[in-house]
Amino acid sequence: MAEIVYRTLEVPSGYASPVIARYLWQLDDQNRRLLAATTDLTPDALQWQPAPGFNTMGMLFAHVALNEVHMAHVMIEGRTASDVPGILDGLGPDDDGMPLPEEGKPPAVFANKSMEDFVDLLKRAREETRRIARPLTDADLDRRVTRHPPDGSTRIYNVDWTLYHFVEHLAGHHAQILQLKHLYQHRHAHA
Amino acid sequence: MSVIERSILEVEPGFRSQDVALFMASLDDQHALLIRDLEGITVAELEWQAKPGQNTIGMLLAHIALVEVFWTQVGPERRSREQWDVEGVLGLDLANGDGMPAPPDARPPAHLAGKTFDYYRDLLVKARAYANRVAMGIEDGVLSPVFQRTRRNGTVEEINVRWVLYHMLEHFSGHYGQILLLRHQYRDAAK
Repeated sequence: MAEIVYRTLEVPSGYASPVIARYLWQLDDQNRRLLAATTDLTPDALQWQPAPGFNTMGMLFAHVALNEVHMAHVMIEGRTASDVPGILDGLGPDDDGMPLPEEGKPPAVFANKSMEDFVDLLKRAREETRRIARPLTDADLDRRVTRHPPDGSTRIYNVDWTLYHFVEHLAGHHAQILQLKHLYQHRHAHA
Repeated sequence: MSVIERSILEVEPGFRSQDVALFMASLDDQHALLIRDLEGITVAELEWQAKPGQNTIGMLLAHIALVEVFWTQVGPERRSREQWDVEGVLGLDLANGDGMPAPPDARPPAHLAGKTFDYYRDLLVKARAYANRVAMGIEDGVLSPVFQRTRRNGTVEEINVRWVLYHMLEHFSGHYGQILLLRHQYRDAAK
């Protein structure tokens, strides 16, 4: 009998808004597939750079987690400042080392970190997003947050855009991690 | 006067389903950002391969356009395999137009040689317009029902239109992320 692959977007329970619940399903789908494809990454692979100035897979995992917490606090909850270290066991919002200078090396904080460490960061970040997202209603989707970053600009976000950005941001870095894994394997197979 | 940057997911009028409109607004946003990021890209960069067998930016752009039209026909339009007509929309063959998957030592497909960014932008614009036009007619009631399709390898998939729309978005975002990484690799190789 032919194998059946299920690809149906379901509504998780426990959320006040089905729209927001579906955004969380999409985020969980991205994490599930990303982690399934990267479970075998070693600490050496996680801190490998194709050349100086390139992000490592470890940096990208950390970037995804700390951005998720920062954006959930500031752009969904509307806090003046996020508390990334409080959620990610001391890791701060700028600790991913990005953007790296042209000849930059990865931040020392990620040296010898394993996949278990990065999985833990991603889990903590998602739990925080879930906590914040559960009580939101459809009426929250167009709630707006105005920020005044140091560059002098004014930035206006709504919750709907922020949740969409979570998905596309994660999907983009997901693909970059897979591409870096491919490059790492190719480089080491031909070393 | 300071710059005001608005990140608001705004739904275009004319859609029958708010959920579908949000997915299309998300894709419109990704499309606009990708086009903005690639303005001025040269033919040499579009055709650059990190190694034989690897995708070029041009191949990925063609792939994004092909896949957007393909999934629109499979999901929202529920066309059978015999009814697929991606070439009629894009002038590019679904099976070979993007050259993917590339064999291990393959060079980029000859039919993409010398193509400028204008060519790829036109493909992406056509694909976006096609998907938007079809999506406008979708009712909420068609999003959740599960249907089957059989892939060329014999695998049977159970999917729904809501998943197809999500997949169109995450597929676009993933390849967008890969394109940005390829641009970094290209700059590095040119040093």
